[in-house]
Amino acid sequence: MLLGAGWAASGPHPLPTLAWSLGGACVLLLGLALYTAHRILTALDRLTGHLKAAAAGNLESRITGIKAGAATGELAWAINDLLDQQEAYFREVYSAFEHATRGQTFRLAMDQGLHGAFKEAMVRVNISVESLGQVQMMALKEKLISKLTDLNSGNLLTNLKSIQEYLMNMTQEMSIVGQLSKETAGDAEASRATIEGLVADLNRVAEMAVASDAQVRLLHEKSDEIHQIVQVITEVADRTNLLALNAAIEAAHAGDAGKGFAVVAEEVRTLSENTKDAAASIAKTLQTFGQATTQMISDSEQVKALAEGSRTAVAEFRTRVLKFAGSATTSFTQMSRAQDLSFATLVKVDHFLYKQNGYRVIHQGTASPEARAVQSDHRSCRLGTWYYEGQGAELFSHVPSYVRLEAPHADVHRNIHDAVAQLSGAWERNPATQSLIYAHFEAAERASETVMSTIDRMVEERHRLA
Amino acid sequence: MLKRPLPTQQERVLGEDDFIVSKTDLKGIITYGNRHFIQMSGYSERELLGTPHSILRHPDMPRVVFRLLWDTIQAKREICAYVKNLAKDGSFYWVFANITPSFDRNGDLIGYYSVRRKPRAEAVASIAQIYQALLAEERKAGDGQEGMKASLALLNQTLERKGLSYEEFVFGL
Repeated sequence: MLLGAGWAASGPHPLPTLAWSLGGACVLLLGLALYTAHRILTALDRLTGHLKAAAAGNLESRITGIKAGAATGELAWAINDLLDQQEAYFREVYSAFEHATRGQTFRLAMDQGLHGAFKEAMVRVNISVESLGQVQMMALKEKLISKLTDLNSGNLLTNLKSIQEYLMNMTQEMSIVGQLSKETAGDAEASRATIEGLVADLNRVAEMAVASDAQVRLLHEKSDEIHQIVQVITEVADRTNLLALNAAIEAAHAGDAGKGFAVVAEEVRTLSENTKDAAASIAKTLQTFGQATTQMISDSEQVKALAEGSRTAVAEFRTRVLKFAGSATTSFTQMSRAQDLSFATLVKVDHFLYKQNGYRVIHQGTASPEARAVQSDHRSCRLGTWYYEGQGAELFSHVPSYVRLEAPHADVHRNIHDAVAQLSGAWERNPATQSLIYAHFEAAERASETVMSTIDRMVEERHRLA
Repeated sequence: MLKRPLPTQQERVLGEDDFIVSKTDLKGIITYGNRHFIQMSGYSERELLGTPHSILRHPDMPRVVFRLLWDTIQAKREICAYVKNLAKDGSFYWVFANITPSFDRNGDLIGYYSVRRKPRAEAVASIAQIYQALLAEERKAGDGQEGMKASLALLNQTLERKGLSYEEFVFGL
């Protein structure tokens, strides 16, 4: 516009004026050029300031108040656009990762509106965010599995301990029942002997009753015979008495000559009277005796019947006692087997506990109570004490499998000890050490299986041999 | 002071590969807007700078959305929201807005940075329905605190029924 005005003013003037005008225009042009150059330089200075700030990592500042049509306007907007792209890019990346680290992987970085390399980079960022989400999920899963395993093994230990306690009580009670059953079997045997004696006695009583019955019958028969003899004697006495009376009458007829004869006749009569009295007395005694023997026969028949009845009852009783003695013996055998089984189970549980403590050391560390618990060797652990000194030695040392328990049991302890020894180093980051630990636990498990089956065989053999 | 125009049914659409960028101070006064902001809003840069961002608020927007927005960014957290904006000529344009807080070197909050992208048509269709319901709830209870409370309750209820957090819901649309 200024330039146009200059040219328009130059129209009607002569040359010097033209020269002046040209000179003036040149000055004005120069001034304008200088002014424009100054403005551009100032604007460029401002833009340089923004760019330097951006280069220093400050993406906050923007150029504002950009005049439409200004020479540096487009440049200013281009710088703003660049800063917008950069700031949007960084904020999106920040937001997406910030969410992802909290497990919120649904918040992907938005690439819409970003251009070129910014957009392409964002695609890769989102791949990272998604894989971060997967890694987090895996890590969480691992954490959970590990926590669950920990929880499980902790509870398993508690459960095993309660089973152990239960088995200890059961074994104790079974041992009492076993003792009782043993006593019952002994009592039954003693009863059987007593019964046999009783039966023999009763048999003898019955025999004697039969014998005495015969004797009494004989006695009864003899007393009848005596009775008949006494009757004969009484008749003789009666007749003698009559004869003596007739003799006395005849003597009286004979007068004095018969006096002596009369005395004799009187004596004979007295004698016959005495004989009759004596016979009557005998008959009376015999009658009493007969009553007594009749009573004795009746009594002896009752005794016979009673002895016979008792024999039947005692025979039945004997059968029952024999059966009872038999079942008492069987139940004693079974009880003793059950007792052995429960004892075997108890030592097995002790062994499980030992192994479980071994696993727990992995989680709880080498300073834990579990670590102290697994330090025991195969002679001093509970199974070892049972085996070398306790009921194991007492009840099982004669069976063939007894000697086969020692080696695998020692193996279990050695492997657990070796595994735990590896835990003192930096095993968490060393895969080789971890494989070694795993191998020891695996070997311990294999040996432990042999321990279990050998204990089973020991119980079986003891009862097959018994 | 700019006056809010009367809304028309005219729609403006943001370009697929473009985004609107703006910055405000802590009170929501515009301190910067890129060329897409100027173009879509219909205001000049001079008009926008120093003006509250709420000049673009469309009457179809439920107030509870802005309440949620401010509560979140003032708590120094990012928020994303579908917003229907009002241009100078009364036309409207839908955006998917992302607002993040800006901090100085000491970590103090100094303003907010907002990037607005073109939303998917399906997302706009479903959010518009929800906004309509929220707006109805606000109007029913009157325009005061009661309306806001009722509207917030409805929003929470909607999210609860879907079993999603607000963020999950917005990013799932």
